[in-house]
Amino acid sequence: MTRPEIVITGYAETKVAFRSGRSAYDIAGEVLADLLDRYGLEKADIDGLSVTLALSEASNPFFAVYMADALGLTPTWLNAGGIGGCSASGGVARACSAIRDGMCRIAVVLSADAPSTAWRSDYGAYRSEFQDPVGVQGPPAAFGLLMNRYDHQYGLDPEALGKIAITQRSHSLQNPNALDKFRKPLTMDEYLSSRMIADPLRVLDCVMFCDGGNAFLVMSETEARARGFGTYVRPAAYAEVTNYAGDQSCPDMTESGFWRIAPEVYRQSGLRPSEIAMFQPYDDFTIAVLMQMEAFGFCGRGEGSAFVRDTDLSVRGSLPLNTGGGQISAGQPGLASGGLNLAEAVRQLFGEAGERQIDAPRNALVTGIGTIPYGRNWGTSAAMILEV
Amino acid sequence: MPDHTSRPVPKPDIYVPTQPFWQGAREGRLMLQYCRDTGRFQHHPRPVSIHNGRRNIEWREVSGNGFIYAFTVLRVPGPGIGGRLPLRIALVELDEKVRILGNVFGKEEDSPQIGRRVALAWDHLDGGIPYPAFRLVAEQEAAGATP
Repeated sequence: MTRPEIVITGYAETKVAFRSGRSAYDIAGEVLADLLDRYGLEKADIDGLSVTLALSEASNPFFAVYMADALGLTPTWLNAGGIGGCSASGGVARACSAIRDGMCRIAVVLSADAPSTAWRSDYGAYRSEFQDPVGVQGPPAAFGLLMNRYDHQYGLDPEALGKIAITQRSHSLQNPNALDKFRKPLTMDEYLSSRMIADPLRVLDCVMFCDGGNAFLVMSETEARARGFGTYVRPAAYAEVTNYAGDQSCPDMTESGFWRIAPEVYRQSGLRPSEIAMFQPYDDFTIAVLMQMEAFGFCGRGEGSAFVRDTDLSVRGSLPLNTGGGQISAGQPGLASGGLNLAEAVRQLFGEAGERQIDAPRNALVTGIGTIPYGRNWGTSAAMILEV
Repeated sequence: MPDHTSRPVPKPDIYVPTQPFWQGAREGRLMLQYCRDTGRFQHHPRPVSIHNGRRNIEWREVSGNGFIYAFTVLRVPGPGIGGRLPLRIALVELDEKVRILGNVFGKEEDSPQIGRRVALAWDHLDGGIPYPAFRLVAEQEAAGATP
């Protein structure tokens, strides 16, 4: 083969905490030390670093360089991941390219953020003039609009969204890294009676910004074998797209970039939707999960509500969904968010998911979403298929 | 703590030059960017035409007539809302084939729906600065002859 195989040989993840009082640097330090301890590596072995830009440190354009300094690393390849919730899987994909190009041998893809302790992010641009006066400052109004439109075109069953929230909550009960507040069962009545935020968006459809971090160890399969790694997973496919439909003044709001990249990750991996062993989609809002089920072909377009109603999405089901609770029920560690879904996929494929471990996992589909543009759905869509 | 009671007037020209939008608002006209090469409008304003990447763009008045493409009622506080909760927000598709976010005026019992016709109305930020919004058009008004 001309292309060397690149693999993920390890992961580390902190518990998600609300207002931890810690910085992204401190959280990153915990993640790095854990990663080195768990896999018996020395700091000097690491010559590649991908750092996800953090909401809590967003005012510093040299954040990735400062992170290398904070961690005492001297990378010959440094990547600053600015695609939000796509930065973890996107960082792994970029690390694969860098290793293939010989820019580094062992890369750490690290995400740490603490927005519930310190918010230093200002999106600026057009928002102050054209969104703020209307009251569309953040995700809730934008997703209320998206859900309203989706409902108009296809029909949206609140109980389907409730089932997503309840299933993921049942998974977070078995995830010791989930935010403690969310580690209690959720009922359909509780979901349906939860407060409306932006009709028809309920508070239990939403994530909550927290603090936390995660990291992944990426190297060639040759390097992994030489170093005695017996367990690793292979990124078999990756695709991303930014600013989908960005050249249209009136795009279909319900059509996301996932419709473009889903066929690409299936083509690269040679898998069909029915062969996906677990689905770890980016879950900032329940509607995003439902819309991705359609885009990735688990059901037809507009059939998401019926599919969710008719499918067992639990860890024992036919399509295990966000088996660690996802961000909605484990907490969103700022823009380290995409790494939460990815870490759960790697953990499951390593067979280390404890009581929520799915049987004989062969592969996992992980996705990312980054930012929300004016009057559309989301800015960046990313998807990765991992195989053992 | 952010101030949730006021409706601050944004500084224009921060991202790209936007004075024509604000000057038009003062004159009661909704001005949006128009690509002269492709004959298409775009909003929010950009440094180039999103349709062909060129800078052959100008500001043109639009009718402000259109329909509701998507709608929500915001129920949580935030900056700029100015004590207006619950706040009716629409993504309006104008007849000129361009979409714009705006608040929707109308009687509380008259619930906006997707497809419902709207017309331009003027809201006011702090200091009485006009800002575009929309009002629901009565069914017979929408069905009737063009004005």
